[in-house]
Amino acid sequence: MRTLIVIPCRDEARNLPDVVGELRSVRPEDDIAVVDDASRDGSAEVAARLGCDVVRLPLHLGYGAAVQAGIKLGQRGGYDVVVTFDGDGQHDPADVAPLVAAVAGGADLALGSRFQAPGAYQGGPLRIAGRRLFAALCGALTGLALDDPTSGLKALGPRAQALFASSRFPDRFPDADALVVAHRAGLLLTQRPARMRASRNVHSMHDGLRPFAYAANMVLSLLVAALGRARDLRE
Amino acid sequence: MPLRQQVVFLALTGLLLLVILELVRRRRLRVEYSWVWLASGASIVLLILRYDLLLALTETVGAVVPTSTLFFLCILFLAALCLDFSVRLTTLTRQVKDLAQELALLRHSRGEPAPPTALRAGEREHERGDDRFR
Ligand SMILES: Nc1nc2c(ncn2[C@@H]2O[C@H](COP(=O)(O)OP(=O)(O)OP(=O)(O)O)[C@@H](O)[C@H]2O)c(=O)[nH]1
Ligand SMILES: [Mg+2]
Repeated sequence: MRTLIVIPCRDEARNLPDVVGELRSVRPEDDIAVVDDASRDGSAEVAARLGCDVVRLPLHLGYGAAVQAGIKLGQRGGYDVVVTFDGDGQHDPADVAPLVAAVAGGADLALGSRFQAPGAYQGGPLRIAGRRLFAALCGALTGLALDDPTSGLKALGPRAQALFASSRFPDRFPDADALVVAHRAGLLLTQRPARMRASRNVHSMHDGLRPFAYAANMVLSLLVAALGRARDLRE
Repeated sequence: MPLRQQVVFLALTGLLLLVILELVRRRRLRVEYSWVWLASGASIVLLILRYDLLLALTETVGAVVPTSTLFFLCILFLAALCLDFSVRLTTLTRQVKDLAQELALLRHSRGEPAPPTALRAGEREHERGDDRFR
């Protein structure tokens, strides 16, 4: 399985050496692409020095669009699997293998779930509540039992790559809503355990009041994903 | 409506219409955006000349004074305009995103490093507006 690991990053210069080093030692065969989202700390230079493929966005587009740029790269490169992997050290490279195996076994999208992994980092009570809410909504909308729908660790087969590279991808908040879109487009989704760790970052994209705005937007985006016209999904 | 008012309002509206036409002529305003403004100018002229139409409309919608009908229409018009802008913004946002991604992928495939300066400089400004929730 030719695999591309996509690391979306925003100011991760401090973490990239460890994250990439660890990935390389566990997954020496895989290619690694860092999508730098106009970082202000030289992340792109660090990634280039580490020998990664660097896709450098000329403007700050946000997490979703950055991930999508990486998926487009993988899709055009003809990769069997594109794995999205956080740049802040939260994901464990050892969890990639089961996800890739799931795609090799016929799944279109395999999601890393921290609830399947005993002892995985869960985050504060707010995060846990949020994840529960999205999981419940996602389950109600799709009938899928994906218990960690906001996980950033995903493995995408060719069909999922094509879908997520298209305009049907909810590029602003691609979490549970992206899964709902994938399910409605007829893709086969599955989950595997992921031993999430605590972030090494002081700042997170979910700082301050943003989680509330995020949750509100997510609920709306989920409804849009669920209520969207079926013909828009099939295209 | 007293003649004096009619003359003043007609003059102002005429000026507005001229400004719109001039903006279009100088390509500062795209033709497809201009018709909304031209149409609104024209309907003001119509209402000034045919005040009885406004009175009839007021009667129809059940408003008490013609001014409230006028204000209501204005607000409705502005809301529709804002909605139209939001729709256009949505398209523009997607187009800018796609272009930025293509540019980044193209540079990557050609092995070109991104220029570190120009766009970076404006970045702060851009972020202040809506620092993405993500
Ligand atoms: N391209 C891009 N990547 C981002 C952006 N914000 C965060 N990221 C990256 O996305 C990944 C996850 O971001 P985090 O801020 O850790 O989000 P999180 O893991 O959901 O939240 P924490 O639990 O607080 O770590 C990291 O690799 C970040 O560098 C962004 O605006 N653009
Ligand atoms: Mg994180």
